[in-house]
Amino acid sequence: MTNHDTTTHEEHAHGHPVVSWQVQLGVLLVLLFFTFTTVLFYNAESWVESAFEIHLPWWVNVVGAMSIATVKALLVCMFFMGLRYDKALNSFALLFCLFCVGLFLGITMIDLDTRDRVYEWKKDSVAVGGTGSGLDTPSIDARFDSSPAPSFNTAGLSIVDFRRQQGLEDAGSELAFWTAHYHHHAEHQHAADVNNFFAQLGYDHHVDLPDANHAVPRTGLTAGLFSAVDPSEAHNSHAAEDAAHQPAENNAGH
Amino acid sequence: MQTTLDADTTPAPAHIANHPTHWRNRPFAAHFRTRDDDFDASKFGMWLFLTTEVLLFAGIFCAYAVFRMMYPEAWSNGSHHLNWIIGAINTVILLISSWTAASAVRCAQLNKQKWLKINLVITIICALLFVGIKFWFEYRVKLTVGKAPGTFFSYAFAENPYEVLWWSLYYMGTGLHALHVVIGASLLGWVLYRSWKYQAYGPTEYLMVENSALYWHIVDLIWIFLFPLLYLIH
Repeated sequence: MTNHDTTTHEEHAHGHPVVSWQVQLGVLLVLLFFTFTTVLFYNAESWVESAFEIHLPWWVNVVGAMSIATVKALLVCMFFMGLRYDKALNSFALLFCLFCVGLFLGITMIDLDTRDRVYEWKKDSVAVGGTGSGLDTPSIDARFDSSPAPSFNTAGLSIVDFRRQQGLEDAGSELAFWTAHYHHHAEHQHAADVNNFFAQLGYDHHVDLPDANHAVPRTGLTAGLFSAVDPSEAHNSHAAEDAAHQPAENNAGH
Repeated sequence: MQTTLDADTTPAPAHIANHPTHWRNRPFAAHFRTRDDDFDASKFGMWLFLTTEVLLFAGIFCAYAVFRMMYPEAWSNGSHHLNWIIGAINTVILLISSWTAASAVRCAQLNKQKWLKINLVITIICALLFVGIKFWFEYRVKLTVGKAPGTFFSYAFAENPYEVLWWSLYYMGTGLHALHVVIGASLLGWVLYRSWKYQAYGPTEYLMVENSALYWHIVDLIWIFLFPLLYLIH
């Protein structure tokens, strides 16, 4: 982009600087590149964690994503919004706003972290819901109960557990419930699948294979060597009838 | 890249050129010394409004940061329900629309009326694409399986009791952002209409184009931060 510097101010519309189309297109290409970079960073992080079997600290993801996002934001502000060519007052307004955002986030974090300074029992006391009243809190006065959202008694369960219980009842049996789930999401055993239907339904395909660092002696015939059909598929087809109430999610999500 | 659309040397037809709304015929506000003072003051006013928009989303980002810190597993689980490919496509669409919006301002500054309208049309098409993709491929799919905000949540297979917080913030953040996309597209549509009907914008009168484009860039900026925070968590 350096050879376009001389055309940055090609015309002046009554004193207002006109950004050249080369600069604008260049900034777009750089932005698209950084979008690609941030996606690449995310995928690289996943790959590193799985290939080296390490767990990266939580801040790697945040710092990486936010620094790339900040660069993109700077480019949009300076060139597309014109702050680079504008009066400094407009930049000052934005910077002051960002300072206020920093105050907002910073003081909130400090508050959350130091709640035990006065009352020990207030630390970590943010509960789901947060206002001190849950779905089961009895109403103080019906005139205040004007929330348009549905409200129902969950008998003390979290809404997530309540819905799972409801799903179990609608499906009829645990087998039908988990079959419906694993039919579309067989990546890993669900946290609530305490009876290990993941393995029972045959989705537990993980086989301990030997690699350069450890040898796994295997004896006997290879499974399915003489079968005409995949034995794990045959096993799944018996449990695959979809009796669940929940509609299946399509492949747009993970 | 000289095309026949580049230099808009054809004068406007008389009924447009003589209309009081044509950019050559519009006065600036009487309480300003010069036209430039009017422009600068109005643009600064727009920047002040944009800072309030940033603070609006800062509230949502603050809630996001607090709950992500407190319930990282719920955030990780929730993010895995989102398809980053769709998010990336939407990001590219918005970046391109930001470019065409900035280009539209430039065209108004250089009296390129035809390209001004073309750029505005492309920006609005990108906005409609963004909202369409979001509603059809994301919201529709998620809401039909019960991944909904707050007490509307009815997905039976969530793995963490705090996942409902994730969904609430997801819908709040992206929903408010989609609303801003619609508002921004409406503003640009208004600019397009007036440009088409009256040739209302030109080198000495392009404040409305500039301010609408600034609003659009803020919308793009918010999404630049929302995308990695929602779609690219581990």
